[in-house]
Amino acid sequence: MAQELLYWQALNRAMDIEMEADESVFTLGEDVGLYGGTYRVTEGLYAKYGEWRVRDTPISENSFTGLGVGAAMAGMRPVVEIMTVNFMLLALDSIINAAAKIPFMSGGQFRMPLVVRVPGGVARQLAAQHAQRLEHTIMNVPGLRIAVPATPQDAYWQLRQAIASDEPIILLEHELLYFGKGPVDLMADPPPMHRAAVRRPGKDLTIISYSRHAVLAEAAAVELAKEGIEAEVIDLRSLRPIDWDTCATSLEKTHRLLVVEEDCRFAGAGAEIAATLAERCFYSLDAPVRRLAGLDIPTPFNGTLEAQSIPQVADIVAAARNLCRSTPGAQAA
Amino acid sequence: MPLAITMPALSDTMNNGRLVKWTLRIGDKVSKGQTIAEIETDKAVMEVEAFHDGYLAGPLAAVDSEIPVGQVIGYIAESPVAEIAIAAPAAPAAAAAPAAPVPPIPPVAVPPASGVRASPYARRLAQQLGVDVADLSSRQGEVHADAILAAARRAPAADLDAGPPYRIERVSSLRESLARTMAASAATPVFRVTARLPLGPLKLTAKAAQVSLTLLLARASALSVTAHPLFNAVYTPEGFARRERVDVGIAVDTAEGLIAPVLRDVAGRKLADLAADWAGLRDRVNSRRLVPEDYRGATFYLSNLGQFPVVDSFDAVLPQGAAAILCVAGAGAERASFTLGCDHRVLAGADAARFLQTLAEFLTDPGTLLGAPD
Repeated sequence: MAQELLYWQALNRAMDIEMEADESVFTLGEDVGLYGGTYRVTEGLYAKYGEWRVRDTPISENSFTGLGVGAAMAGMRPVVEIMTVNFMLLALDSIINAAAKIPFMSGGQFRMPLVVRVPGGVARQLAAQHAQRLEHTIMNVPGLRIAVPATPQDAYWQLRQAIASDEPIILLEHELLYFGKGPVDLMADPPPMHRAAVRRPGKDLTIISYSRHAVLAEAAAVELAKEGIEAEVIDLRSLRPIDWDTCATSLEKTHRLLVVEEDCRFAGAGAEIAATLAERCFYSLDAPVRRLAGLDIPTPFNGTLEAQSIPQVADIVAAARNLCRSTPGAQAA
Repeated sequence: MPLAITMPALSDTMNNGRLVKWTLRIGDKVSKGQTIAEIETDKAVMEVEAFHDGYLAGPLAAVDSEIPVGQVIGYIAESPVAEIAIAAPAAPAAAAAPAAPVPPIPPVAVPPASGVRASPYARRLAQQLGVDVADLSSRQGEVHADAILAAARRAPAADLDAGPPYRIERVSSLRESLARTMAASAATPVFRVTARLPLGPLKLTAKAAQVSLTLLLARASALSVTAHPLFNAVYTPEGFARRERVDVGIAVDTAEGLIAPVLRDVAGRKLADLAADWAGLRDRVNSRRLVPEDYRGATFYLSNLGQFPVVDSFDAVLPQGAAAILCVAGAGAERASFTLGCDHRVLAGADAARFLQTLAEFLTDPGTLLGAPD
């Protein structure tokens, strides 16, 4: 039975269920204990499980993430919360040099059941140092898995799957999604963690996106349908690995691809998606692959400029329309 | 004038040689007969000797690479130079004439860039459908899939100018869509099998039960399709699309042209329901109120010219979306003619024969057609 939950509540339920089921699961980070988490994800857990399993840490990202790595090597299942992705930069040594490499360098003798939960993305006027997307940085690190849940249901499923997994997994949560509501079925069987979801079927073009922009892409598809353009919307759900088969199947049907991302266009996730699919689906493409992405600038503080710096629904609609119109008779084909 | 060193043919079965190593370096003095490189053939490692005096010059072929016989692997220059400028490849093979004759350098098979602007998907479609991309591109610039599909659909125009004067009369959209559908069907490889089957019992049953003969024919066809489910499949490039319901398109002659309203689930529903649907479809045909849902998606077709006694037998174009069409004629005779037109990508002659055999059983004992499906 599905119930309506906010995104943060879905994560909170996942944490609670996993902590209750397995004593080796614990969480640590800044303000996760007494305060209940910056975005309320650990709310109530401190009271229920105590300070040993819900640890408040000092402002010391590399140290407490390193503590998580060590705990994972010793057989625990830590869930590290880094307050925002911007502060994850300080923890990259623990993540990239330790978590991602130790299983490989030890020939699999050490497993790494580590989850790092990170809020990120452009929220509301938090300025350049607090409004980044760093998926491009960690996508390029072999050994990591990256989940990017866009819905409360996926947040619930993917956090539980991440905790159960023996691989190091970064959960990129979008700051503007925490207070979005959606149906969550706590009992339903989840799809594999990396499986992309076709959010809306269509025949005229494929829009591939992830995280909050997958939600915006769906809204754009509704607008496009009013003009007679049927967009197929794919929410990747995972950036490493990427479910290429689902993408290719769609592209072989629609023959046009628009990649939408909040992150800067240059050398970002969209570049990887566009390049791989152009290689794989070359003979199915009826138009050049298009990318719609954030501008190649630090996020402005000014609210108007901030909104202008990342793709909005109207931008997605316009880009999709252009892609279909530049190949006339799009709807006939 | 620098002289080229080519990959020698060291045996008559040798096509390629692997360069093992250069025994001299660029700029080293070379005398005729001196070993300059080692080559591994399909049989052994052998030495390459210089045929001239001079200095070894680059560009040298890379060590460990597979090189076709006759290809230039380096140069012998008159003075020590690092690299030969190879602006004009001046027949280097002619200079090196070893004991075994060197075959000419095989031409490199790189197709020239065509300059045609067409999307990759358009090119693929053009190849499949036999459309000339270059021609389309020269007329309309950048070519996309829609242009290829339109070109493939376009029938070669009749040569009207040679005949008497004429005027163009616009046809109804029904006739236009019929023309399109029929042209699109032309690529389907169709074969026909004809059987003469008794129609008398079916006529008597129709009269007694007060249902239309067409409806009973559709019912008999649908039950035969159910017994031979491949007849309900349609060919797609991905595989056979097997449909879960037998929807029969029934050709109807109207003033506007041919139309085939579709009766749904003809094998699975009560005859009374089908009769009501069929009456509704007929009404909408007569009042020209048919909507696309009424005539799209048939999985099997029925065409009956039984009301024309002069027609002995006929066959029809198989519309896309179905594997077979049943054509009934000569209803006045003791045995009517039943011609089954089949898509050969899905069905074979024996399939058609088995289908007609099943149909014959229903026609001989039509009582079973009236009952409710189980």
